[in-house]
Amino acid sequence: MNGGEWGIYIVLYFWLAAMGGGAFLVSLLGKNPSTQRLGAWMAFFGVVVGALLLIVDLGQPLRFWHLLVSFKPVSVMWLGSAVLALDGVALFLLLLLKEWPRWLVWTAAVLTLLVVGYTGVLLMATAKPFWSASPLMPWLFLASAYTTGAALLALFGANGRVHQIALWMGIIEGILLLLHLVWTYPAAGRAVRALLTGELAWAFWGFVLFGLLVPLYLEARRQSPLLAAVLVLLGGLLLRYFVVYAGQIGYVI
Amino acid sequence: MPKPEDFAILFDTSYCTGCRACQVGCKQWNDLPATETQNTGSYDPLTLSAHTWLKMSFFEGLDKEGEVYWDFVRTSCMHCSDAACVDACPTGAMNYRPGGVVTVDQDWCIGCRNCVQACPYDAVHYDEEKGVVQKCTLCYDRVANGLEPACVKACPTGALRFGRYAELRAAAEKRVRALKADGFSEANLYGLKEMGGTHVIYVLLRHPSTYDLPLNPKTQKEKVAVGWLSAGIAAATLGGLSWIIARREELSGGES
Repeated sequence: MNGGEWGIYIVLYFWLAAMGGGAFLVSLLGKNPSTQRLGAWMAFFGVVVGALLLIVDLGQPLRFWHLLVSFKPVSVMWLGSAVLALDGVALFLLLLLKEWPRWLVWTAAVLTLLVVGYTGVLLMATAKPFWSASPLMPWLFLASAYTTGAALLALFGANGRVHQIALWMGIIEGILLLLHLVWTYPAAGRAVRALLTGELAWAFWGFVLFGLLVPLYLEARRQSPLLAAVLVLLGGLLLRYFVVYAGQIGYVI
Repeated sequence: MPKPEDFAILFDTSYCTGCRACQVGCKQWNDLPATETQNTGSYDPLTLSAHTWLKMSFFEGLDKEGEVYWDFVRTSCMHCSDAACVDACPTGAMNYRPGGVVTVDQDWCIGCRNCVQACPYDAVHYDEEKGVVQKCTLCYDRVANGLEPACVKACPTGALRFGRYAELRAAAEKRVRALKADGFSEANLYGLKEMGGTHVIYVLLRHPSTYDLPLNPKTQKEKVAVGWLSAGIAAATLGGLSWIIARREELSGGES
């Protein structure tokens, strides 16, 4: 356990679940069955490891089953744990089956989209201004899920469309991040300043430079695709890191 | 809205001398350990924490006439009727108890800290040793046995009063009218509409923003609805865009 803030386990969970889930969603845009199966494996891995990270992060890990016997859709935390569990089951079934029934693929896709998207809603529905003063958290996390998911597939040999998706979603992600900072600055000036010039500047500028601009340059020039993919993945981790910590700056948890 | 017979606390800043007896009374009754603090003019804790459920906050400045004011406000759980912490809790451990009091069931809380992030009053905090969250209980163990909360019991000036909601609200409204008649034109009541109506109501001498109180805090239900709406539009927009990018690439011949 850390000091009680949503810390490194949450950062890793946001990153892994979005990366794996994003890979599955991107793989479904194509028609290649082996890429789709690879995407499903990645999403399954993200969901299972992510769920374990969430349980370890609890103050009372052995009570995690309290979530499963509750029913509280208004709580984003509860809904997130429910879709995480259901998505794990749907993806597991996909991995067992040789032929994928259409309805099961759709179910898994929707559940994966919810897993990737609820994290942004979770942060938006707080009293922390950096997360809640703009409606862009889900947008940023979804765009990052697409870029990191496409990069993960690229790392495992997929090519063509995944590079285009990583490129365009990367551009959108950069614009969304800029918009978010401008939008939240009046309410969350301290957090934004920590990102630009303060204690989180290393993560923020590290992301902008090595997680965004360099890979965008490489992707646009179609150079060193593997290096670009690795940088995008590390950038996704930095993004989750500084978003999660910036939101809690100045608060005692 | 709180029910007329609900438990309630009335804090009247015009009677408060800032003595912090309430703060000490809270610590003593609830067996809360002292926390290490730094001298920032005083040794007061700067914020609430798992071991500080109530603190007095001090505000000074110049009013419109150029007179110096030094005002005090009680900072603690407001026991909202539409509480963000209750809606944020995934297990139901944080819940309303009879009389409108909001408490956390320590045996059911899993320690996820979603309530800590959700509270607009920063009144719920995480206890690392216990692995669960902690907050003001409105001294439920006392009020359920006919006693008043420890903070109210300790208050020497009558700035804190305990009673039934309807009765205290009427008293508060009367007090605001009297203050206005006395020349405090900005005197107002805080907590009537915030978060569905709070069971702790404040008589304030100045605008709530003077005391860093949140203005029109949104309920958790509103925030969650806006969040899912935004996520839905994002999923449709970004999903649609990625589909278009993939199609374009397919038509141009690049395929994996």
